[in-house]
Formats: sequence, C-alpha cells, structure tokens
Amino acid sequence: MHSLPIPTFQPRLKVLSREQALAIHTAALEILEKTGIKMEHEGARAMLVDAGARPFEGDWIRIPAYMAEEALKTAPRQIALYDQNGKKAMALADENFYFGTGSDTTFTLDLESGERRQCVLADTGRFARLIDGLDNMSFAMSMSNPQDVPKIEFIYVYAFAEMVKNTNKPIVFIADRRQDMAKIHEIACLVAGGEEALRRKPFLLNYSEAISPLRFPAHVVDRLIFCAEKEIPICLPSGSNAGGGAPVTLAGAMALGIAENLMGLIIHQMTRKGAPFLFGPNVSVLDMKSTVVSYGCPEWSLTQAALADMRDEIYGLPIWSFAGATDSKAVDAQAGAEAMLSIVTAMLSRCNLIHDVGYLEYGNTSSLEMVTIADELIAAALHLTKGIPVNDETLALEALDRVKGAGSRGIFLTDDHTFDHFQEALFLPELMDRSRYDAWMAEGGKDLYRRANDKARELLASHRLDPEMAPELAKEIDQLLGKL
Amino acid sequence: MDFTALSETIIKGNMDGAVKETQKALDAGSDPQQILDQGLIAAMDVVGEKFSQGTMFVPQMLRSAKTMQACVALLKPQFQAGTVSSKGKIIMGTVKGDLHDIGKNLVAMMLEGAGFTIVDLGVDVAPEAFVKAVADEAPQILGMSALLSTTMPSMKATIEALKQAGHRDKVKIMIGGAPVTSQFAKEIGADRYAPDAGSAVSEAKGVLAAG
Repeated sequence: MHSLPIPTFQPRLKVLSREQALAIHTAALEILEKTGIKMEHEGARAMLVDAGARPFEGDWIRIPAYMAEEALKTAPRQIALYDQNGKKAMALADENFYFGTGSDTTFTLDLESGERRQCVLADTGRFARLIDGLDNMSFAMSMSNPQDVPKIEFIYVYAFAEMVKNTNKPIVFIADRRQDMAKIHEIACLVAGGEEALRRKPFLLNYSEAISPLRFPAHVVDRLIFCAEKEIPICLPSGSNAGGGAPVTLAGAMALGIAENLMGLIIHQMTRKGAPFLFGPNVSVLDMKSTVVSYGCPEWSLTQAALADMRDEIYGLPIWSFAGATDSKAVDAQAGAEAMLSIVTAMLSRCNLIHDVGYLEYGNTSSLEMVTIADELIAAALHLTKGIPVNDETLALEALDRVKGAGSRGIFLTDDHTFDHFQEALFLPELMDRSRYDAWMAEGGKDLYRRANDKARELLASHRLDPEMAPELAKEIDQLLGKL
Repeated sequence: MDFTALSETIIKGNMDGAVKETQKALDAGSDPQQILDQGLIAAMDVVGEKFSQGTMFVPQMLRSAKTMQACVALLKPQFQAGTVSSKGKIIMGTVKGDLHDIGKNLVAMMLEGAGFTIVDLGVDVAPEAFVKAVADEAPQILGMSALLSTTMPSMKATIEALKQAGHRDKVKIMIGGAPVTSQFAKEIGADRYAPDAGSAVSEAKGVLAAG
C-alpha cells in the first residue's frame, strides 16, 4: 500500500477577495474610459487615437476598456532576467520572488565614519559589489545619486556603468530621457555581446515613472517606447501615493495607479506586442505630518499584497514591489521593525520583483549595513515561508524511540536524526545574535549595526565577481563614457 | 473688537462659519486690516504652532489655509487698491526640465496660509521666465523646486540669469526638493534651503525678519 506524500502548505497572505479585486480593476477601467489621461507625447497620442481612444481638451484622451484588455492579453506572463554571464537568474512569474536594492538616494551612511554624507560614484560600485556577494539579493540598483559624475545630464549612464563593473547580477536602472537611455543600452549591448544577444537574454530592467494623477510627460513615454522597441523589460509605476498623487483611501489610490499602469502597458504593447512589461503601481502613503512618501508604513505592504491578489485573479503579469526599507534616519530598532514587516509580507503575498532593500530615511539615504541586515531578514522570512514539511522523517517517531531507549541520558541533540536534519530544519542566523551574554561581551558587545558594518566591510574587501569584468570590456565602456 | 470666534473657525477649518464670522466683523464696522491681522493671520500662526507640535496634520492645516483664503476673498473688496498688506510676495516654480509639482504646490499653499502672496509660475519654468517674473512682480523671495537630480542645474542657471539681468540683489532665493541639499544651496549661491513645506514657511519668515 502506497500513499502520496503530504504536500507542504506554504503560508500565504491574501488581502483581497475576488469581488474586491474586480471592483478595483473596474474602477481603473472607468478612470481610463471616463476621466481620461493627459498624454503629452504626440506620437503616442496619435497612435492611441488611431486605435480607438478619444481626444478631448488639448492633449487629454479617453481610452476604451477593450484597449486595456487587449494589452493585457499580449503582454508576456513571464519575464526572465539573466545575469551578465548569460545564466537565467530571475524568472519573474507566478509566485517567484526576488529581492534587490533601490535607486536615487541623495545620501549614504559612510561605512567608516557612520556619517550621512552625499553619495559618490564609488558608493554605487560598493553597493553593486555588496549585492553580488549577498546570497539573498538577486539584483542591483544604484542606491545613490552620485554627485561626482563629470556630466550631471548623464548621471544615470555613469551609475549604470559603475554597476555593470561591480556585479554580475541583473541590474534595474533609471534613465532620464531617450538619449541617456540609448547610451545605457549601448553599454548593455557591449556587455551582452550585441543587441540581439541582449534582446534574447536581458540582464537589465528599466524603472520609469509617469506622474500621478493621470499625467504622461513626453520624455517618460519616449523611454517606454524605447524599451518596447528594444525589448528591454520595463516597469512604469506613477507614484500614486495615498493622499498625495492619489486618493487617501487605498482602494482609490490603487485604482488610479493601476489605470496609469494600464495606460503605460497599452502604449508599450501597441509599440511591440509581447515586449516584457512588469506590472504594478507603487502605492505608499504621504505622511500626514512630514508629507514624505513613507517607506516604513504598513499601507504599502498592504497595497502590494492586494496587487499580488489582483495579479492572481486578473492580470497574470509579474509585479513590481518594495521591501526592506525604513523611514528611520538610523539603522535602529525602527529600521529593523519596518524592514522586517515589509520583507515578510512581500514574501507571504508573493510579490515578484521586490526593490528598495536597504533604504533609510524614506529612500533619501542608503546604507550598506541595512542591506546586509536585510539580507539575513530575507533568509529568516524565507524559512518562515517554506512552512513545515510533514512526513515520516520529520515526524521522527523513530528518533523518539531511540532517545526514549537511551534512558535518562537521552537527548535529541546527540541523536543522528538531529545531525542529519538540523541544517534544513532550523534557521541558522549569522548576524542575529543569540550568543550568551558573556560571549557577546567578549566579542565587544556589538549591536546589530556594528556587526552588519563588520560583515559589509569584510565582504567588500574579499568578494570577487565570478568573473571580474574583462579589462578590454571595461576599457570600451570607459571610452564610451569619455565621449558623453 | 475680539476675533476669538473668527480665529477658532479658521483653526477648525470651518469654512462656512469663518465666512460668516468675517462678514459679521465687517458689518460691525471692524477695520479689514485688523480682521486680517488679528483674526485670520493670528489664527494661522496658531495653526502653524499646533502643526509643529504635532497636534495637527497637514490636511487640517491646509483646510485652515483654504478657510482663511475664503475670508481674505471677502475682505479684498474692502481694501483700497494697494493698501492691503501681506507678509510679502513670493514667486515660485518648478525649474526647467522638471514636471513635478506636488511638493511645490504644497509649499505654495502653506506659504499662502501663513499670509504671503504667492505668484506660482507652474512647472518646467525657464530661467528667463523666472527673471521676467522677478522684474515684473518685484517679489521679496524667489522659490525654486526640483525633484530630479538632472534638473538641479536649472536652479544654478536661473540664479546666473538673474545676475546677468541685474536682478539678483533684489530678491532672496530659496530652494528645495527631494535631491536638493543645504550644501547644494550654498554651492549655487541660493540664500535659503528648505527641506520641507513647514520649514519653507519659517525660512520665508526669517528672510523678511532679516530685512
């Protein structure tokens, strides 16, 4: 007599019913059909009007729902990102999740002095290299707005080049306009070995933003069209933050953000059917005292969990999300608490591409220590998310018999079952300190921030890329930068 | 004349009540400048204080500012042309190349609530447009905003354009926006840096107090 193994239930967070998901989707379609979008890109506007959109009041257009439904049909349900060695690294689809850093911080916490200072290009490199060396981080973003670039109008090109040189993992990049994006694409082609190779195995994804409410500036649409043409994966949230660019109530903020995302998707799929588009608005909240967009609030975790539900119920497209960030100015208890809340919930709701790990100060300051800590928080969350396998081996009745048989000296710690299983059965922390007090004091009584600082320094000093960039390629990239 | 009831309606953001109280004060023969100073602006000072103490939130403060504006609209016809005294005039805009205006609009509303007269030039404002507005409007302060690091150089370009046109010394320049820092403000020769809307108000007050 055989019986099937018992499948392991893996904990899953759901926050929307099917009715709620459909109602938000319907509201988003109504926004497109009735309220309309301010489409400031002439070419895109003409293309949309040709296809059935109705122009009104200058550059505004109203978009019939079927155009959104068509775009949803042609967009691919999986986006595969490769590493720079051409190996598949991220299969963005279904319930797969990948964590990485964020972009554009003005400041960083100095690894030596601990002081908050303005970012330089070397920081961009350091963050990319740290990401390369951390097991639970899947992709790199700049974590900086380096102030020491030779030409500010090409800041994103320098940042991209610095990342390419310091990690082999996939890169999520920012660009300002078509011109600098084309330069970034050129560098990526150099790395991948040509445009066709890059198209087949993209190692990069662009993050662009429309402006909530309802506004599509021409240069943003330029980037969207460029990415569609070149099949560079792109996401296009709009900053539909509750109480700022969008209604303060989360359902309304989501509906607006989704409407704007669908607008981007329509242009994208009309430009090139089947080009990869990562779905999802960023819906955080505007803090009602400071008016900052919060990165530690529970609401953002809630809206992206809701979006994951909408993905499952309606869209089927992989989604863009955030976690592991904080509004705190220091790597402190607030930072840890806020980062863990978003990491656990992003994982439990099966968000796909999860960025902003390691942000302090609502995304204004980056911290190598925070990234290092979050890497371990992700490992802990993963352990939780894997659930409890139940079978003869894990029920361990035989081990119990052995321990019972050993009499008064019986303890599981000495049993073979423990030796065989403890490494996968238990989460074995590295940074989270469980040592006895005296041992902790003997090691210098260091808090988590100091221990993370030690680990980040060690990794940056010892980690080597596999392989490091070939000198000829680095030279080609530098020549391209020199001609900007 | 006691303006306590009027002030309270402003602080609560009770628009209908505030307009009624303003009308009542006018009907009773109060001086419009007194209503403005002791009723409306005094109330907004309390609002500002409550906000900085954390007992009031931004939407409540903005409602108070809107309520105050409704009362000012009622007072305006009562002033002889040019006799209404505001705290000062501020020209504002998001710099060339930048289309983001949520932050700038918020700053404008808060400054208006604090009693300043605002001339809002909108977004993507070219240096020449700032120069022309300074020449035409003779403001005490010019406020510039940028959200993108790629548009921050437009702030410097605007200050250069003001120098070229010979207007730099006539106006104090205040800048802000997510990527903007106090160090950057110093580097480009701006007079003031405000990291958020609340501090924009106190910086603006500081400029005028300094004369």
